[in-house]
Amino acid sequence: MTYRAGLLGAALGISMLATGALAQEPIRIGAINPYSGPVALYGDEVARGYQLAIDEANAKGGVIGRKVELLRGDASNPQQGIAAVEKLVSDKADIFVGTYISAVSNAASDAAMRYSKLYWDTNALAADLTERGLPNFVRSGPYAANFAEVSANATRELLAPALGKPVKGLKVWIESEDSIYGTSIAKRQKELLEKDGATVVGIGAHNFRANDLTDSVLRAKAAAPDVWINTGYVPDGNLLLRTMRDQGFAPQAVLLVGTGDTFETLDALGAEYLQGITVVGYPRPDQTESYGPGAATYLAAYKKKYERDPIAPQGMTAYVGVKILLEAIAAAGSVEVEKIRAAAAKMDKPTKSYATGFGVKFDDKFQNTRAVPTVVQWQSGKIVTVYPKEAAQPDVKLVNLPRK
Amino acid sequence: MEIFFNILLSGILLGGIYSLVSIGLNLIFGVVRIVNFAQGELVMLAMYATFFCFAKFGIGPYYAVFLVAPLMFVVGLAIQRIVLQPLQSEPMMQIFATFGLLILFENSVLAITRGEGYSLAGTYSRAVIDIFGLKASVSRLIVFLAATAIAIALTLFLQRTMAGKAIRAVIQDRHSARLMGINVSRTYLLTFALGSALAGVAGALLAPIYTLSPYIGGNFILAAFAVVVLGGLGSVPGAYVGGLAVGLMEAFAGYYVDPALKQAIWFIIFVVVLVLRPSGLMGQVGAEEVGLREQN
Repeated sequence: MTYRAGLLGAALGISMLATGALAQEPIRIGAINPYSGPVALYGDEVARGYQLAIDEANAKGGVIGRKVELLRGDASNPQQGIAAVEKLVSDKADIFVGTYISAVSNAASDAAMRYSKLYWDTNALAADLTERGLPNFVRSGPYAANFAEVSANATRELLAPALGKPVKGLKVWIESEDSIYGTSIAKRQKELLEKDGATVVGIGAHNFRANDLTDSVLRAKAAAPDVWINTGYVPDGNLLLRTMRDQGFAPQAVLLVGTGDTFETLDALGAEYLQGITVVGYPRPDQTESYGPGAATYLAAYKKKYERDPIAPQGMTAYVGVKILLEAIAAAGSVEVEKIRAAAAKMDKPTKSYATGFGVKFDDKFQNTRAVPTVVQWQSGKIVTVYPKEAAQPDVKLVNLPRK
Repeated sequence: MEIFFNILLSGILLGGIYSLVSIGLNLIFGVVRIVNFAQGELVMLAMYATFFCFAKFGIGPYYAVFLVAPLMFVVGLAIQRIVLQPLQSEPMMQIFATFGLLILFENSVLAITRGEGYSLAGTYSRAVIDIFGLKASVSRLIVFLAATAIAIALTLFLQRTMAGKAIRAVIQDRHSARLMGINVSRTYLLTFALGSALAGVAGALLAPIYTLSPYIGGNFILAAFAVVVLGGLGSVPGAYVGGLAVGLMEAFAGYYVDPALKQAIWFIIFVVVLVLRPSGLMGQVGAEEVGLREQN
């Protein structure tokens, strides 16, 4: 009797200890991003998005009975990405999320694979990340091809009508920075625009650290395009626009891809010059509630926590990415790679389900096929969502197109 | 033909930027015999200082230059006195020290700005002069004129004044200069500070043209090394002419060959000059051989 009672007591004690530990042990999400270095600004912004999604989940009592915690792993190059994963594994990270730098995402997800941890990508754009078929990889956000597609769609459905010209025969110049990021998007844009019947009058590639871009601008100017499209970073984008202004090169429509929708461009060019310039970018909180349900809530939560407006729209895409991840964890009832991927594969939500307007449907390479960028326009120094039409507020109209 | 002249003009104006950045670098190299890797970061610091003057006190860049250049003079004095002078007998260590300063400056600015890309609000870069279809941005024209004025003034200073003669004597032979009663350490101090002040002028005048980033110094400095090698180590007119030459080659290569390849031009110049004429266009023949000789 004493023996049995002792055994029972011991078993009870152990099980109580175990459940106690489980109840307290949070789900630790390791967020790989540059938090120092030249691109830290957006890294921080992405992490703010993650944090807001996690705060929201914790306010509802956590996920699968556990609180969620964000750990930060600083990485702005692939080597640091690997080191950050290793460090966070020793800090007991269960899952990794990250980052908008594709090269870091590539290396960090490989490293996470070695520890059999899930790597859930929210913001990286390179196509090869999902095409590798890495068994621990999922991407919840849009990638390079989506940006190319939206730029072609917007040229056809938004810009051509605004210019009063058919897309067939519309003259387009495609400019990009000369690394794989810019050139891969430019190549796809060319294919899609030519399929629509547009005339691509030239393709230009430039180094994003160039000290002068007059050559790129004069080349485009000589081709006299109706629409000038550029994919690049902030410094080269600003320098191109300034040089265009100096050189009197004024195409009827300007479409920027990826960057050009923040105060960094506004400060450099001023509201007057930017008036009417369109940008393909991550969805922004100003879109309609019917297109992006929860966008206004996100904006309010951001302002409350960080006491300012969002720095860049990447944060909201990151926020939605982690929301989808947490839903997948809840459905899987586990933080194991296979179970979450299996749960994610079953997810089927139509577009316009999240604040960004995204839905969820992963293809066999675990790329979310229902994540698309939107198009915004500079209007009197403010950024206004204009495309797709249902994302734009009802009173929003295109301005200054054709550009004067 | 209009395109040709527009390219020519943009090349000259770009050359002005390179000249302005290179003159200070070359002066320091010629006299103190240090390859100052941090020179680009001094330009970057001056750009941020100019931005700060504008954002905080509303002082425009063309006024701020009169504050920023003296400030950078003091920064240069401090670097030479505190960091480089104690390493005087170890030239390799001095080079590493300037590299350390590069990292220090970059990361300090990064930590403060979090990498946000600042710009001086449009007003200062907006004006354009149009002569028969040739378009020149006024802010670039000012850089070019400043580079020209500085090259002339500095040449006169080196030729005509006692301090300038002392600097030239140290360039030629520091041991004999010391025997003639020239205070070599003080000459180093003055030269490094002067080179830093020139970086200050460059930074203030370039601030209205570019979007500021902590890494922007590196964009200029690679070209500046090509300029220094082409123009001749230690030669002020060499740095000026070399800057224009590199600017022109870059502009023409960018338009007529491929914009993506134009930076390769710097390194082609670099290698060709080093092989064919190591002293550069205007450098003193043989000067390159004493590059890292003992300095005490």
